[in-house]
Amino acid sequence: MMAQTEFEMTENRPLSNAKLAVLILLGSETMLFSGLIGAFLVFRMGNVTWPPLSHADIELPRIVTGFNTLLLIISGFTMFHALRSIQQNRIILFRILLIGTGLLGLIFLSIQGYEWSQLIKNGLTLQSSVYGAIFYVLIGCHAVHVLGAVIWLVIVICMAFSGRFSSDRHIGVETCTIYWIYVVALWPILYFLVYFA
Amino acid sequence: MTRHIALCILLICVVTLILPHTLEACPACKNLNEPIARGFNWSVLFMMSMPFTVFGVIGGSVFYYYRRAHNKVKT
Repeated sequence: MMAQTEFEMTENRPLSNAKLAVLILLGSETMLFSGLIGAFLVFRMGNVTWPPLSHADIELPRIVTGFNTLLLIISGFTMFHALRSIQQNRIILFRILLIGTGLLGLIFLSIQGYEWSQLIKNGLTLQSSVYGAIFYVLIGCHAVHVLGAVIWLVIVICMAFSGRFSSDRHIGVETCTIYWIYVVALWPILYFLVYFA
Repeated sequence: MTRHIALCILLICVVTLILPHTLEACPACKNLNEPIARGFNWSVLFMMSMPFTVFGVIGGSVFYYYRRAHNKVKT
Protein backbone atom coordinates (compact mmCIF):
# COMPACT_ATOMS: atom_id res chain seq x y z
CA MET A 1 0.00 0.00 0.00
CA MET A 2 2.85 2.30 1.00
CA ALA A 3 4.79 1.49 -2.17
CA GLN A 4 1.78 2.32 -4.32
CA THR A 5 1.35 5.70 -2.65
CA GLU A 6 5.00 6.47 -3.26
CA PHE A 7 4.60 5.43 -6.89
CA GLU A 8 1.61 7.70 -7.29
CA MET A 9 3.58 10.54 -5.70
CA THR A 10 6.44 10.14 -8.18
CA GLU A 11 3.94 9.87 -11.05
CA ASN A 12 2.37 13.19 -10.08
CA ARG A 13 5.65 15.10 -10.25
CA PRO A 14 5.96 17.63 -13.07
CA LEU A 15 8.52 15.36 -14.72
CA SER A 16 8.48 11.79 -13.46
CA ASN A 17 11.66 9.74 -13.13
CA ALA A 18 10.48 7.41 -15.90
CA LYS A 19 9.99 10.29 -18.36
CA LEU A 20 13.36 11.79 -17.47
CA ALA A 21 15.00 8.38 -17.98
CA VAL A 22 13.40 8.06 -21.42
CA LEU A 23 14.58 11.57 -22.35
CA ILE A 24 18.14 10.67 -21.35
CA LEU A 25 17.88 7.39 -23.28
CA LEU A 26 16.73 9.31 -26.36
CA GLY A 27 19.64 11.73 -25.91
CA SER A 28 22.08 8.82 -26.07
CA GLU A 29 20.20 7.36 -29.07
CA THR A 30 20.52 10.73 -30.80
CA MET A 31 24.28 10.69 -30.24
CA LEU A 32 24.46 7.16 -31.68
CA PHE A 33 22.53 8.14 -34.80
CA SER A 34 24.44 11.40 -35.22
CA GLY A 35 27.67 9.35 -35.24
CA LEU A 36 26.25 7.11 -37.96
CA ILE A 37 24.93 10.08 -39.96
CA GLY A 38 28.35 11.72 -39.58
CA ALA A 39 29.98 8.59 -41.06
CA PHE A 40 27.42 8.62 -43.88
CA LEU A 41 28.23 12.28 -44.65
CA VAL A 42 31.94 11.47 -44.91
CA PHE A 43 31.33 8.61 -47.34
CA ARG A 44 28.62 10.40 -49.32
CA MET A 45 30.55 13.65 -49.78
CA GLY A 46 33.84 11.83 -50.23
CA ASN A 47 32.50 10.05 -53.32
CA VAL A 48 31.64 12.11 -56.38
CA THR A 49 29.51 9.29 -57.79
CA TRP A 50 26.95 7.87 -55.39
CA PRO A 51 26.19 4.97 -55.45
CA PRO A 52 29.77 4.05 -56.39
CA LEU A 53 30.39 2.72 -59.91
CA SER A 54 30.59 -0.85 -58.57
CA HIS A 55 26.91 -0.54 -57.55
CA ALA A 56 25.69 1.74 -60.34
CA ASP A 57 23.06 -0.82 -61.42
CA ILE A 58 21.47 -1.03 -57.95
CA GLU A 59 18.52 1.25 -57.36
CA LEU A 60 17.09 1.65 -53.89
CA PRO A 61 13.30 1.10 -53.70
CA ARG A 62 12.32 4.72 -53.08
CA ILE A 63 8.57 4.46 -53.80
CA VAL A 64 7.94 1.39 -51.64
CA THR A 65 10.01 2.92 -48.85
CA GLY A 66 8.07 6.17 -49.27
CA PHE A 67 4.85 4.20 -48.72
CA ASN A 68 6.50 2.55 -45.73
CA THR A 69 7.43 5.99 -44.37
CA LEU A 70 3.79 7.03 -44.64
CA LEU A 71 2.72 3.95 -42.65
CA LEU A 72 5.21 4.75 -39.91
CA ILE A 73 4.06 8.38 -39.72
CA ILE A 74 0.44 7.19 -39.42
CA SER A 75 1.54 4.87 -36.60
CA GLY A 76 2.94 7.94 -34.82
CA PHE A 77 -0.49 9.58 -35.01
CA THR A 78 -2.30 6.46 -33.79
CA MET A 79 0.12 6.18 -30.85
CA PHE A 80 -0.38 9.83 -29.97
CA HIS A 81 -4.17 9.39 -30.06
CA ALA A 82 -3.87 6.23 -27.95
CA LEU A 83 -2.22 8.35 -25.26
CA ARG A 84 -4.93 11.02 -25.62
CA SER A 85 -7.68 8.38 -25.31
CA ILE A 86 -6.26 6.86 -22.09
CA GLN A 87 -5.97 10.40 -20.67
CA GLN A 88 -9.72 10.75 -21.39
CA ASN A 89 -10.38 7.25 -19.95
CA ARG A 90 -11.67 5.85 -23.28
CA ILE A 91 -10.30 2.37 -22.70
CA ILE A 92 -11.74 0.55 -25.76
CA LEU A 93 -10.47 3.17 -28.21
CA PHE A 94 -7.12 3.16 -26.39
CA ARG A 95 -6.72 -0.60 -26.86
CA ILE A 96 -7.78 -0.46 -30.54
CA LEU A 97 -5.29 2.34 -31.28
CA LEU A 98 -2.48 0.50 -29.49
CA ILE A 99 -3.10 -2.65 -31.56
CA GLY A 100 -3.31 -0.54 -34.74
CA THR A 101 0.02 1.08 -33.93
CA GLY A 102 1.65 -2.28 -33.29
CA LEU A 103 0.32 -3.67 -36.57
CA LEU A 104 1.60 -0.66 -38.52
CA GLY A 105 5.02 -1.11 -36.90
CA LEU A 106 5.05 -4.80 -37.86
CA ILE A 107 4.01 -4.00 -41.46
CA PHE A 108 6.84 -1.44 -41.65
CA LEU A 109 9.36 -4.05 -40.48
CA SER A 110 8.00 -6.70 -42.85
CA ILE A 111 8.21 -4.43 -45.90
CA GLN A 112 11.71 -3.40 -44.93
CA GLY A 113 12.75 -7.01 -44.48
CA TYR A 114 11.37 -7.87 -47.93
CA GLU A 115 13.25 -4.90 -49.48
CA TRP A 116 16.48 -6.03 -47.85
CA SER A 117 16.08 -9.56 -49.19
CA GLN A 118 15.65 -8.11 -52.71
CA LEU A 119 18.71 -5.88 -52.33
CA ILE A 120 20.82 -8.78 -51.06
CA LYS A 121 19.67 -10.83 -54.07
CA ASN A 122 20.82 -7.98 -56.33
CA GLY A 123 24.29 -8.06 -54.76
CA LEU A 124 24.15 -5.24 -52.23
CA THR A 125 25.48 -6.76 -49.02
CA LEU A 126 27.21 -5.50 -45.91
CA GLN A 127 30.59 -6.60 -47.29
CA SER A 128 30.07 -5.63 -50.94
CA SER A 129 31.21 -2.00 -50.53
CA VAL A 130 31.18 0.97 -48.21
CA TYR A 131 27.84 1.90 -49.84
CA GLY A 132 26.27 -1.38 -48.72
CA ALA A 133 27.92 -1.17 -45.30
CA ILE A 134 26.66 2.32 -44.45
CA PHE A 135 23.21 1.55 -45.89
CA TYR A 136 22.69 -1.59 -43.82
CA VAL A 137 24.24 -0.17 -40.65
CA LEU A 138 22.21 3.06 -40.72
CA ILE A 139 18.88 1.60 -41.83
CA GLY A 140 19.43 -1.59 -39.83
CA CYS A 141 20.12 0.38 -36.66
CA HIS A 142 16.80 2.17 -37.11
CA ALA A 143 15.00 -1.12 -37.84
CA VAL A 144 16.36 -2.55 -34.57
CA HIS A 145 14.94 0.49 -32.79
CA VAL A 146 11.55 -0.04 -34.43
CA LEU A 147 11.68 -3.68 -33.33
CA GLY A 148 12.51 -2.56 -29.78
CA ALA A 149 9.60 -0.12 -29.89
CA VAL A 150 7.24 -2.87 -31.10
CA ILE A 151 8.36 -5.19 -28.25
CA TRP A 152 7.82 -2.35 -25.76
CA LEU A 153 4.39 -1.72 -27.32
CA VAL A 154 3.43 -5.40 -27.01
CA ILE A 155 4.20 -5.18 -23.27
CA VAL A 156 2.07 -2.02 -23.03
CA ILE A 157 -0.78 -3.77 -24.92
CA CYS A 158 -0.64 -6.72 -22.49
CA MET A 159 -0.75 -4.30 -19.55
CA ALA A 160 -3.63 -2.40 -21.20
CA PHE A 161 -5.66 -5.60 -21.56
CA SER A 162 -5.03 -6.52 -17.92
CA GLY A 163 -6.45 -3.14 -16.89
CA ARG A 164 -3.25 -1.60 -15.56
CA PHE A 165 -3.82 1.83 -17.09
CA SER A 166 -6.36 4.55 -16.37
CA SER A 167 -6.69 8.31 -16.90
CA ASP A 168 -4.81 8.88 -13.62
CA ARG A 169 -2.19 6.19 -14.08
CA HIS A 170 -0.61 5.85 -17.51
CA ILE A 171 3.10 6.68 -17.21
CA GLY A 172 3.96 3.43 -19.04
CA VAL A 173 1.93 4.56 -22.06
CA GLU A 174 3.47 8.04 -21.97
CA THR A 175 7.07 6.77 -22.00
CA CYS A 176 6.28 4.28 -24.76
CA THR A 177 4.63 7.08 -26.79
CA ILE A 178 7.70 9.33 -26.40
CA TYR A 179 9.97 6.52 -27.62
CA TRP A 180 7.66 5.55 -30.49
CA ILE A 181 7.32 9.15 -31.73
CA TYR A 182 11.11 9.55 -31.56
CA VAL A 183 11.60 6.46 -33.73
CA VAL A 184 8.92 7.70 -36.16
CA ALA A 185 10.38 11.24 -36.35
CA LEU A 186 13.87 9.89 -36.98
CA TRP A 187 12.87 7.77 -39.98
CA PRO A 188 12.02 10.52 -42.55
CA ILE A 189 15.45 12.12 -41.89
CA LEU A 190 17.21 8.80 -42.55
CA TYR A 191 14.97 8.05 -45.52
CA PHE A 192 15.73 11.31 -47.34
CA LEU A 193 19.41 11.14 -46.40
CA VAL A 194 20.04 7.56 -47.52
CA TYR A 195 17.57 7.19 -50.40
CA PHE A 196 17.79 10.65 -51.99
CA ALA A 197 21.17 12.20 -51.05
CA MET B 1 75.59 15.17 -14.99
CA THR B 2 74.31 18.72 -15.37
CA ARG B 3 76.65 19.17 -18.34
CA HIS B 4 75.15 16.08 -20.00
CA ILE B 5 71.60 17.35 -19.59
CA ALA B 6 72.57 20.78 -20.92
CA LEU B 7 74.29 19.12 -23.86
CA CYS B 8 71.20 17.04 -24.63
CA ILE B 9 68.95 20.11 -24.53
CA LEU B 10 71.37 21.98 -26.80
CA LEU B 11 71.41 19.05 -29.21
CA ILE B 12 67.60 18.89 -29.32
CA CYS B 13 67.46 22.66 -29.97
CA VAL B 14 70.00 22.39 -32.81
CA VAL B 15 68.17 19.45 -34.43
CA THR B 16 64.82 21.32 -34.14
CA LEU B 17 66.35 24.38 -35.81
CA ILE B 18 68.01 22.35 -38.58
CA LEU B 19 64.79 20.54 -39.53
CA PRO B 20 62.15 23.27 -39.84
CA HIS B 21 59.60 21.19 -41.78
CA THR B 22 56.00 22.34 -41.90
CA LEU B 23 53.73 19.65 -40.54
CA GLU B 24 50.03 19.21 -41.23
CA ALA B 25 47.95 19.27 -38.08
CA CYS B 26 45.54 16.73 -39.56
CA PRO B 27 46.22 14.52 -42.58
CA ALA B 28 42.55 14.64 -43.60
CA CYS B 29 42.58 18.45 -43.89
CA LYS B 30 45.60 18.59 -46.22
CA ASN B 31 43.59 19.43 -49.29
CA LEU B 32 40.50 21.24 -48.11
CA ASN B 33 38.89 21.34 -51.53
CA GLU B 34 38.88 17.59 -51.98
CA PRO B 35 35.48 15.88 -51.56
CA ILE B 36 36.64 13.70 -48.67
CA ALA B 37 37.87 16.76 -46.73
CA ARG B 38 34.54 18.51 -47.28
CA GLY B 39 32.81 15.35 -46.08
CA PHE B 40 34.91 15.37 -42.91
CA ASN B 41 34.20 19.08 -42.37
CA TRP B 42 30.43 18.71 -42.65
CA SER B 43 30.50 15.59 -40.52
CA VAL B 44 32.50 17.32 -37.79
CA LEU B 45 30.23 20.37 -37.85
CA PHE B 46 27.13 18.17 -37.69
CA MET B 47 28.43 16.09 -34.79
CA MET B 48 29.64 19.20 -32.96
CA SER B 49 26.11 20.61 -33.01
CA MET B 50 24.53 17.46 -31.61
CA PRO B 51 25.52 17.71 -27.89
CA PHE B 52 24.05 21.24 -27.81
CA THR B 53 20.87 20.01 -29.51
CA VAL B 54 20.52 17.04 -27.13
CA PHE B 55 21.14 19.04 -23.95
CA GLY B 56 18.93 21.85 -25.29
CA VAL B 57 16.02 19.50 -25.95
CA ILE B 58 16.33 17.69 -22.59
CA GLY B 59 16.74 20.99 -20.71
CA GLY B 60 13.86 22.54 -22.67
CA SER B 61 11.62 19.58 -21.88
CA VAL B 62 12.40 19.74 -18.15
CA PHE B 63 11.71 23.50 -18.21
CA TYR B 64 8.45 22.96 -20.13
CA TYR B 65 7.14 20.28 -17.73
CA TYR B 66 7.93 22.34 -14.62
CA ARG B 67 6.48 25.52 -16.15
CA ARG B 68 3.28 23.68 -17.08
CA ALA B 69 2.96 22.23 -13.56
CA HIS B 70 3.59 25.68 -12.06
CA ASN B 71 0.89 27.25 -14.24
CA LYS B 72 -1.54 24.44 -13.31
CA VAL B 73 -1.01 25.12 -9.60
CA LYS B 74 -1.56 28.87 -10.18
CA THR B 75 -4.90 28.34 -11.94
